[in-house]
Order: sequence, then structure tokens, then C-alpha cells
Amino acid sequence: MSRPMKNLKHIFIVFLLVAFSIEVSGQNAKGKTGTFALTNATIETVTNGTINNGTIVIKDGIIAEIGANVTIPDGAEQIDCSGQTIYPGMIEGGGRLGLVEVNSDPRTRDYNEIGDVIPQMKALTAVNPNSVLIPVTRVSGVTTSLAVPAGGLFPGTASLVNLHGYTPDQMYAGFEGIVMNFPTTGRSSRWDRRSDDEIKKEAEKTLKKLNEVWQRANEYHRIDSTLKASGNAAKLEYYPEMEALLPVVRGEQKLLIEVNAASDIEAAIEWVSDKDIDVVFTGVSEGWRKADEIAKANIPVIVGPVLSVPNREYDRYDRAYTNPGVMQKAGVKVAIKSGDAENVRNLPYNAGFAATYGMGKEEALKAITIIPAEIFGVDDKLGSLEKGKSATLFVTDGDPFETKTQVKYVFIEGWMIPLESRHTKLYDEFLNRQPGLKK
Amino acid sequence: MKNNITLILALLLAFAASAQQKGDVLIKNGTVLTITNGDLAETDVLIRDGKISKIGKGLKAPSGAKTIDATGMYVMPGIIDAHSHIALDAVNEATSPVTAEVFTGDAVDPLDVSIYRALAGGVTTSHAMHGSANAVGGQCETIKHRYGTVDPEALKMKGAPRTIKFALGENPTRVHGAGNNMVPRTRMGVEAVFRNSFSEAQEYMAAWNEYNANKSKKGFKGAPPKYDLRLETLADILKGEIIIHCHSYRADEIYMLMQVCKDFGIKRLVFQHVNEGFKVAPELAEFGAGASVFADWWAYKFEVYYSTAYNATILSENGVVTSINSDSGELIRHLYHEAAKTQKYGGLTDKDALSMITINPAKQLGIEDRVGSIEEGKEGDIAIFNNHPLSIYAIPMYTIIDGVLQFDRQNDQDDMRIYVNPEEKIDVTFSQNDHTVDRCMQGTEFLFKN
Amino acid sequence: MIILFIGVLPSSLYGQDEKIAPVTGTYAITNVNITQAPGRTIQLGTVVVKDGMITAVGKSVSIPADAKIIKADSMYLYAGFIDGLSHVGVDMPKEEEDQDVDDPSNPPNDIAGIQPDRDVRGLLNPSDKSVDDWRKLGFTAAHVVPEGRMLPGSGAIVLLSGDTPDEMVYRSGTSLFSQLRGASGIYPNTVIGVMAKYRDLYRNASYAKSYKQRYEQDGAGMERPVSDRVLEAFYPVIDKRIPVAFKAESVLDIQRVFILKNDLGFNLMLGEVKQGWDVIDKIKNANASVFLSLELPELKEEKEKDSTDTDEGDTKKELTAAEEEQQRLDARKKEMILNHYKQPALFTANGVKFGFSTLEAKSKDIKSNLSKMVANGLSEDAALTALTTAPAQLLGLSNTMGTVDAGKIANLVISDKPYFDEKSNVKMVFVDGKLFEYDDKPKKKKSDGEDIDPKGSWSYSTETPQGTTTGTLKITGEAGDYSGEMTNSQTGETTSISDIAISGTSMTYSFQINAGGNMLSISVSVTIDGETFDGTMTVGSYGSFPVEGERIPEQ
Repeated sequence: MSRPMKNLKHIFIVFLLVAFSIEVSGQNAKGKTGTFALTNATIETVTNGTINNGTIVIKDGIIAEIGANVTIPDGAEQIDCSGQTIYPGMIEGGGRLGLVEVNSDPRTRDYNEIGDVIPQMKALTAVNPNSVLIPVTRVSGVTTSLAVPAGGLFPGTASLVNLHGYTPDQMYAGFEGIVMNFPTTGRSSRWDRRSDDEIKKEAEKTLKKLNEVWQRANEYHRIDSTLKASGNAAKLEYYPEMEALLPVVRGEQKLLIEVNAASDIEAAIEWVSDKDIDVVFTGVSEGWRKADEIAKANIPVIVGPVLSVPNREYDRYDRAYTNPGVMQKAGVKVAIKSGDAENVRNLPYNAGFAATYGMGKEEALKAITIIPAEIFGVDDKLGSLEKGKSATLFVTDGDPFETKTQVKYVFIEGWMIPLESRHTKLYDEFLNRQPGLKK
Repeated sequence: MKNNITLILALLLAFAASAQQKGDVLIKNGTVLTITNGDLAETDVLIRDGKISKIGKGLKAPSGAKTIDATGMYVMPGIIDAHSHIALDAVNEATSPVTAEVFTGDAVDPLDVSIYRALAGGVTTSHAMHGSANAVGGQCETIKHRYGTVDPEALKMKGAPRTIKFALGENPTRVHGAGNNMVPRTRMGVEAVFRNSFSEAQEYMAAWNEYNANKSKKGFKGAPPKYDLRLETLADILKGEIIIHCHSYRADEIYMLMQVCKDFGIKRLVFQHVNEGFKVAPELAEFGAGASVFADWWAYKFEVYYSTAYNATILSENGVVTSINSDSGELIRHLYHEAAKTQKYGGLTDKDALSMITINPAKQLGIEDRVGSIEEGKEGDIAIFNNHPLSIYAIPMYTIIDGVLQFDRQNDQDDMRIYVNPEEKIDVTFSQNDHTVDRCMQGTEFLFKN
Repeated sequence: MIILFIGVLPSSLYGQDEKIAPVTGTYAITNVNITQAPGRTIQLGTVVVKDGMITAVGKSVSIPADAKIIKADSMYLYAGFIDGLSHVGVDMPKEEEDQDVDDPSNPPNDIAGIQPDRDVRGLLNPSDKSVDDWRKLGFTAAHVVPEGRMLPGSGAIVLLSGDTPDEMVYRSGTSLFSQLRGASGIYPNTVIGVMAKYRDLYRNASYAKSYKQRYEQDGAGMERPVSDRVLEAFYPVIDKRIPVAFKAESVLDIQRVFILKNDLGFNLMLGEVKQGWDVIDKIKNANASVFLSLELPELKEEKEKDSTDTDEGDTKKELTAAEEEQQRLDARKKEMILNHYKQPALFTANGVKFGFSTLEAKSKDIKSNLSKMVANGLSEDAALTALTTAPAQLLGLSNTMGTVDAGKIANLVISDKPYFDEKSNVKMVFVDGKLFEYDDKPKKKKSDGEDIDPKGSWSYSTETPQGTTTGTLKITGEAGDYSGEMTNSQTGETTSISDIAISGTSMTYSFQINAGGNMLSISVSVTIDGETFDGTMTVGSYGSFPVEGERIPEQ
């Protein structure tokens, strides 16, 4: 048997053995719904300034009341938040949370299907509501995350989920977008030693393919529209890829374009310019080089991870930290993502570094709350603390960007989330292990 | 244009000069976080000839010394990363499960711009380690980030204790067992490799001792035992001359190595990553083993699926000397933020959190008499921040090594490469940030291709 | 005495006489401008060669009766060049099909590249094309070493003439060649493995040698020493009778070799030095012989942008941040490249004697590279020194080679203009007293637009992190419809290649290999230049690697 085959077999056997040894006891304590009043808190609404000594009433899953003088309904569970601050739940702008469990084991990876043009692959289907990673994330105040497929030119449909619920539909937060990886002219890694010409040719080939696919999608759209308009019962042949691209062509669904190198950003802007579609750029690690162009093109960006090394050896060492701030100051609408899976909980620190290196606290907070909500078209529910919005929020004993800040409460859609996860449970069990050294 | 070139040349000359020397610096009026003697407000630190000569108020700079006004700033010891692979041209000699004879010091690359980027994060010393492909890996090198030289020797921290890398668990069993059909393929095999290696080393030592005792005797006709650099090194471990730093995750394998060490009389042991160290914290404390952990990395492999970010706190509270490391050219740049995570996960005090990146890793590398705190007599390795280093709003402003200013945020150029590749044209590289690329396994990917 | 010659390389393409034995072995080269050594010249003098040696040099010397007179009217004559470290004339050993090694941690020495006992004489091929190529450049002697990994074998001084390997050999066992180059997939693989193994071997050899000495003094009652050819190859090095010739190209390689030298104490000859300018002091202190590389990076001059050139008097156009950055980067890159060009001049200025080595250089680039060095501060005399008297001294050949003086071996090079002139051509070369003549060959017109003919057999080699893979590439068919196949020394397989496309001098093709159950698609893109090609091979998403090759002449 060849070596990789032996590898797989080995991993498979390990996985089987482990699957049988997982503890049978329940995973987590259950969330609690009802009517709550969070009182005496400092409320950071994000869109309407700060409310001191305020109260939020949560009822039927939404923020029923918010303000300094608020009537608390009878029977509401009162939670005294003196000395604490309430923030809207943080929104991860794009990662693999829920789509992978243990990244080194391919059997747990569900974000990269086979095929280069597969926009119809839905991340929502593959999100594992019972992933151990989810509680670990939400106890830190990240309440919502975009699950993004990865792979070829069109790797699938990304989906926004709230980090609570027992089925993907219970988790679904109201946004799906088609993902596209723009043809790249950068080098993919240190081992990539193709000549400049070769790289250029490859990128041109991929761009050609992109345009072919796009043309076909447009044709599909024309025919489909014509058939519908004429009330013709005839249907187009089953073509799921085109079916999935239809709403994008029609400007009804967002296209999330992952693009990083400066020249690629330029090419992507150009590619988008003659199309009447709704586009977001993601990644954008060299966005600072093209900030004015992106601003002019009016394309929002989801940038990150901020905690990364610069793209080029000769780049100033803090380019990734200053990137979001530079773009935001040039007039670009900037959301921040961590791009992670098991450590999406570090989202506030990505924003924190962006804040420290030029973006400022206020804009950085927006970049992980209201801006992604707006970009995903769910700002009627998420992203800020306003009456009528979803009760998706978290309460802290300090600045959520500061590392040592503790999260005291988390609510997702009006459900009070138990602040426990595998990490906290292990802490409880082992801080003072019984038996200790001697049995 | 010409100005740029002369500027660059001048900078490079300045580089070359600074890399070798010891310097004099007076840091004025900062809040000095000594780590071992509390925090001193509005205090000066004077470094002379590379050593901290005085800590106090109203100090005067000797002529020729650089003065840094640290009013409003925080002055802490240069950060020490106990697990790193930057500045190395080779990380894994992954062709054998036992490679004690190789030495990362042979592969030090002073031209690596990652060194500068680490300086920009306040890190002055790192433990340039062999990778984790082998159960018994290679010897490691403790380096100071004296960036700006082409001389690998200039980076080595002369006199630092010898260290060696061991590895447990999935990495060696995958590389050798699954990859090459060689022991170890399971955790059982990993223990066997250690016991074999140490037993053979004992025999080797005995044979040489006998030979050496008898060779000058009259009429001696014996042949020397076969010289073997690998067994020589293993013997040195048994003699207590080398600190073992062992890549490890699972509680049972951590426990195993402590047993093996007890059996062979080895006392100097530090576990690395040790994600499940918290499960055997009492045992670690009793043995006296150190632990160098990630702040919050987990779940990227099966053996870290049952981890907790509270690891560092649990270990620390149970009396284990614990440090926080990066194992990453990216993470090393914000170790001060990683250390602060022990306050999020477990509420450690400022002093305990900062100890994780200063005096504790110094102890684990055996250099605590030289660095790791700000005390008179210690080496002048300092990092100066504009805010308290445990705050997210902290920005490293100056980094000093041996009294020489190595990083100056306001005055350094953007392009800090020492040598430029004469053949490179398009040079946009995408950093791989997610630790799905296990840096400890660097260099082993191609061993799996047929 | 008349020595019959059987003739010279049958594959030489440049107007060589067919195998007609010369009538006499005595030559008188008259009316030629002689540079006996840098700084010692004779205008329009005569050199007499007899029986392979220079018998007379001077303004007017008596010409023997049996001499063939060569009127070198106003041409320029120099001592034949000496290549300090080279693979010229050395056949690359046939890569064994990658035998599945039982134990990669302890492979057989030859597969691991540990063959210090291998004698380069067993690999010499007098009819290798490189011999003629080097000769045409003016090289008459070379210190040749085998190719391989960390310990490819021992070196020899050869003369670039002869029909059999032994005829080439001047002196054998002159050095132990070493490289910081590991084996692929087996121990030692990385530079740290190589250096550790080196120490282990060397120290074992020291112990073995001492024991052997003791045993030879009085073996009775002593365990007999094990015979180990690998260790024995180190003995002359330990005795300091011969040096280790270490290939050390980059500034880090050089310093790593010094670490080994300090640890082990051998005499050191540094070869193929490319980035030595920052470590000249270390080199001096190490007392090492130095051979600088004749391979140089290319400086592609970008045409200045019009806006910065023609705006005389107008205010310079404001550069964008990106343009400024590009300028700075270009300037740094240029500076780095020029450092390579200035290196020899810098060594001379610092009083370090050096020769040249050609382990990496391609023959077509050597003359232009020498010109670049001269254009960047290396005086012509210093260049000539590095080609003649310095290597002669460093290699211990000064008694018989390196200058044009009576009593020395007749190694001479004659060019129609001063050698370092751009347009000079080497017309005649004497090696060991044998004459080789080179006519001007009309340069093969680089037919613009005309597609090159790739048909035939090529040998190729490619460098991946796994190591070197070699094989042959065979292309058949007609323009527009080529087909071919390639063999792979690592896998032993022959794979057919597809999508062969030719455009001008570039060729692309692709093929697939089976890597552990997965089909990997590999594409190759190269530029063909006469009888050689080079370019890159892209392996799926793993990356791309350099590949080069040369035509295998039809038998």
C-alpha cells in the first residue's frame, strides 16, 4: 500500500476508535429563553451612541425596550449589570466555524468540495450545529458567523449562522452569498517558482474560464427570464451551477469575491465595473495599496485576519494591522473577519489591533458589528442595539477589545446562552484535580 | 533616487555595526516592569556595555550613550519565545526517528526578515528549535535577535545551556510510522524509541569509560568503541548537560516521558505545547518539569481536541513553571497579547501573565541568570511599549538587545531586508496564517510524495 | 621525435581538422603579442613549443628546423587558463533507479551521497562536449570533481585534451570534494543532517586512522581494524596532505563551511563562492583557498520611464507611492546584483588571492561574465591572474603551469584581439602541446519567429526539495504534431508527454504522474538555446522547480 494510503487508513482507524470513546454525557447545558431585563448597564448601541445606566428588556427574542428609563415587564428575570457594558453580538465576517472540527483530519473537513465551479454547494447544509467549536466561540461574545466554502473558482454558497440552535435552519441568520476566488497573479507560496510569464498565463487562463462561466450564466438568465415572461411551461435543463449563479447575475444575491494581491484587486474592480451586480471583496490583504480605487468603486470589504504577517518581504511589518484603518479612512466600508474556525473567539483582537494601529476603537467596533450586518443585509436584526432588533448581544466587565475583559452574559436571539464550553468544563475539572497527586 | 540608495547603504552600514557590539543606553522616566521586583514608576534604566548597570531615578547618561525618553511608556524585559523556528534554513531532519546529533545552530539564517518582525513585537530572544517530526529530534539554538548581520554566529547566545527537541504523539508516529513504516507508529513505539536510545547511550558511555580508563595502561591492546555523534549527544542528555524540550500534547504521553526520565535519572525537562498538561499538572509540578504552551491554539489536530485555553493558568496555579510561546513567525510578533490571554482565561495577575514571556521562558532555557527580568547585572535586553504591554492598545516602540537599539518604530525603514534576491521579480507571497500548516512539521511535506 | 596524434573530439562542431595526425609536435608561434604573466608582456615575440612543453619565449628566439610555424600576426597569446573547481569532462553518474531504501534513516552510503572514495578519474569523459566548450574559452587545465551530494568523491587536475581519461589526468587525488547537499528522502536530508554526518564521519575517520597506525606498529593481540573505504578517503585530509574542496555559494553556505572547518580542522579550498563580499575577513582568517564563481545573476536594465527622462527643465512628475516603492526596490535589486559583479575586484583590493570555479556557470556566459567583472572594477591583469597564476599557486601547479615561460607545459591560448575585448575570439589553444584551432563560425541566426526544432533526445534534470531528478526526454514527430516521452530516474518509469507546443525558442508540454494514487498534472515550460534548455516545471499546486537539460547527440 502506498504511503498516503497508509496515512488515510491510519487516520480512519484512529477516528473510528475515538468516535466510540466520546463521553456519552450531554454536551452542554441548555440555553434559556423568556423575558429578561438587563439593568444598570452601560449600553454601547453602536448606532445611537452610549446609554449610561440603561436597561434592555428582552422579550420574544427581540430587544423590546432599550433606554435609561424603561419599564420592566412583570415576571422578567432581572439581571443586574452594574459596572458592566452591553454590546451587540460580534459578527465573524468569514471563516470555517461549523464546517470543520479537527482540521488535520480530512474526514472532519466539510468546506472544500471537489470541483472548480460549484456555486450550488451550500455551506449551510454542512454546518455542524453540535460542533464543539461553537460553544467555545460564543462564550467570548461572537454570536454570529459566516460559514465560507473554500476551493476553486466558485467553491460554493456561504451562509450566515447564529451560534445557537440544533439544526442549520435554527441557526440560519438570514444571509447567503455566492463565493468566488478571483484568479490570482500572486505567488501562492515559497515553493511557487513559476516565471512571471507562467503566472501571468495561468491567471489569464483562469480569468478566461471565469468569463466563460459568467457568459454562460448570463445566457441562462436570459433564457430563464424569457421563458418566465412568456409563461412558457418549458424548463431549462437541470443545471445547478447556473441555477445558483442566477440570482447573482440578476443582482439579487451578493457575490463574495476573495481577492488579495494589489494587481488582482485592480483586475477585480475592472471585472466588476461593467456588470450590474452586488459585490463584496473579502480577504483584501493588500487593500491598502488600492484603497482609493476600492472606495471609488464603492465596493465594501471584509478584511482579515488582521493578525497576519505582511504579504511581501519588503512590506512594513505592520501593514496587516494598519490595512483596515487605511481603507476605512479612504472611504471604504470595512468589516473585519478572523477567517478562523476554532479560534473565531479572537475576532475582537483582530479588531483591537486594527483599532490600535490607526482605525480607532469606534470604527473597529463597527467593523465587527453593524458593518458586517449591513453588508450581509441583516442589519434590520443584527449589528447594533436598537429597539426591535434581535436580542443578540453580550455583556462584559470592560472593553471587549482588552484581552483580560470577561464576558458575563451572552444572548442569541433572546436565548440566554450558558457560559460553558469544553474549555470552561476542563478548567473546572482540572484546576484542582481530585484525586490530585496521590489517589 | 540616489538619496534612497545612500540612505539604504547608510542604514545597512549601521546594521552591520550594531549587530556585533554591546551598547550604552539610558532609558528615562518610564514605568519599569521589573518582573522580579515589582513595577517602578518614573524610573530610569541605565545600560552600560550591554549590561543593566543601574535602575533608579535621575540617572545620567555616559557620553556617547543613546537616550530614550520613555515618559508615559512601559519598560519591560525583552520578550523571550521558548518555541520558535524563525531564522532557520532547516527545521526538520525528518529521515530518522532519532537525530540527536543534528543541530539547528548549523542552520541559523541571520537574513530572515522574520527576526526583524519579531523585534517589532518586543521579542529579543527566541529558542530556534528543531521540528517535531522525530521522537528524538535535534539540538536547538537559543538566539538573540541581533538583526542586521550576515554572520550566523552573531545571533547565537553564547553560553546558553544546550537544549534538544523531543517529540511525542501524532507527528513522529505520522512521519515515521505511517510515512516510512518505521517505529514509532503508536505512542507505545514512541516510548520504546526513548528507552532504546537512552539504554544504548548508557552502554556507549560505559564502553567509552572503560576504554578511557584503560587506554593509557601499559600493554593496552584494546580498540576504542565506535564513535557515534548521536550516542555522544544522548549520553550528554543522561549526564544532565542538555535540557530536553519535548513537543507533546496528550496527558498520557506527558506522563510517560516523565516516567522514562525518572528511570534514567534525567531531571532537566520542559514540555512544549503540552496542551493536556493541565490534566497532569500535579505530576508536572512534582517532577519539576516546565511547560511552554500556546495561549489558545487547539483543535487543529486530534491530539489537541480536548484542550483548554485555561491550560496556562491551571499549570501556573499548580506550581508548574509555565511560559507562553508562539511556534510561529506570525504569533511571535504579539506574544505580549498572547500572554494577556492568561488574564482572560483564568485571571492571572499582571506579574504572572508577564512572567510567562519573560522570566519563566528564561528559566526553561536555563538563561534566567542573564535575562528575563530587569535587574542590575542582567543583560540589557529591553522592550518599550507606549501602553501597558498587556493592553490590546500597546504598541512596541523600541527594542534593545545588549544595549543596542535593534528596533525603532518611528525611524526604521519599511524595507528591512538585508540581502535582496537578485532573481526575484513578482514577489507577492501569501502568508499561510492558519496553523493548519503545522510549523513544527516544516520540511517534511515532500517526504510523503512518491 | 614525432608523436602521432589520433585526433581530437569527433563531436566538436567548430571547423576542426579531421583525424589527420599532425606531422610534428614542435611549433613556433611567431609575431604574437605575448603576455607571459600579468604585468610581463612581450610585443610581437615568438613562443616555441616542443614535446608538450614551452621551450623558448622571447622577442627573437631561434626556431627549430622541425617546427611548424604559426604566424599569429598581431594576435594575443596568454598562458592557458586554469579552472579552479569544475565538472568539465566529468560524466554525471547514471542515477540509479531510486531503489526503495529499506531504512531511510540508515541508507547505503552511495545512495546517501557519501562517496568520498569515488575517484573522479573513473568518471572522466574526454569526448564530453564541455571539454571543447571550455577549451574554446581558453581553459587548458581544470581541477575537476565528480557531481553528487555531500561527498561526491576526490578531485583531480586534468588537462583539457586527450582521448582517454588517463591521458587527461595530470595529478589525481588532489582534494576531497564536499557540498552542503543532502540526499532526497533519506538521511542526511537537510543541511543540519549533512553537517552532523560530516562531523561523525570525520571523527570516526580520525579514530580509525589512529587505530590503524597503532595496529600497524604492532598488531599482535589487537582486534583487526575494519576496512572502510569511506573513512579511509578522509585520511589524507586528516594528515593535511590534501584540502577539502567545499562548494559554498551563498554567504551562509560559506560560514557554515567555516563552522565545520573550525570543528574539524581540515585545510579548506572554497569553491563557487558567489556571495563572499561580506565575509572577506573571515575568509582571510580561515586561510582558505578561494575560487569565485563565474556564474553571475543577470541585470535586466529597465528602460527609464519617459517622464523622468525627457522632462528636462520641467518639474519632475510626482511619483506615486507605488512608483516610488518600485524605484527603491529596483535600486536595491540592482545594488545586490552589482555586488556580485564587484566581488572579484573587492577580493583583489583586500589582497585575497583567488581563482575561478565553474561548477554552475554555463560556457556561453563565461566570457560575458568576465567582462562584467572587468567592467565593475576588476582590472584585466587581476582577471588574468585569477585565470592563470593564482589558481596555479592555489593548486600547487606553479612549477609547470600558469605562465608562458620556458620549461612550463605548453598550455596557451591565442585570441585575435586582447582577450578581454568584447569582440575577441579565441583562435587557437594549445593543451599539453597539442594544437586546437577554432575558426569563426557564422553565428546561428536567431531566426525570429522561426520555431526551433525540438526533435531528438535530451537529458534533463530538475531540482525539487526532494532532490535532483534526472532522466531523458525524447521528442518525435513533425512541427505542429509532436509527441514524446520522458523517463524518470527516481521512479524508473517512462511517461508519455502531451500538448507539446513550440513557439520560437520556447517549448511547453505537460504530463501526468501517479503520486500515491493521485494523478498529478505537471506542466513544463522551457527555452531552448541551441543544445541546451532551461525553464520551470510546475507540479500541480505543490510549486514549480527549475529544470534544465541538454541534447544527447545522435550516436
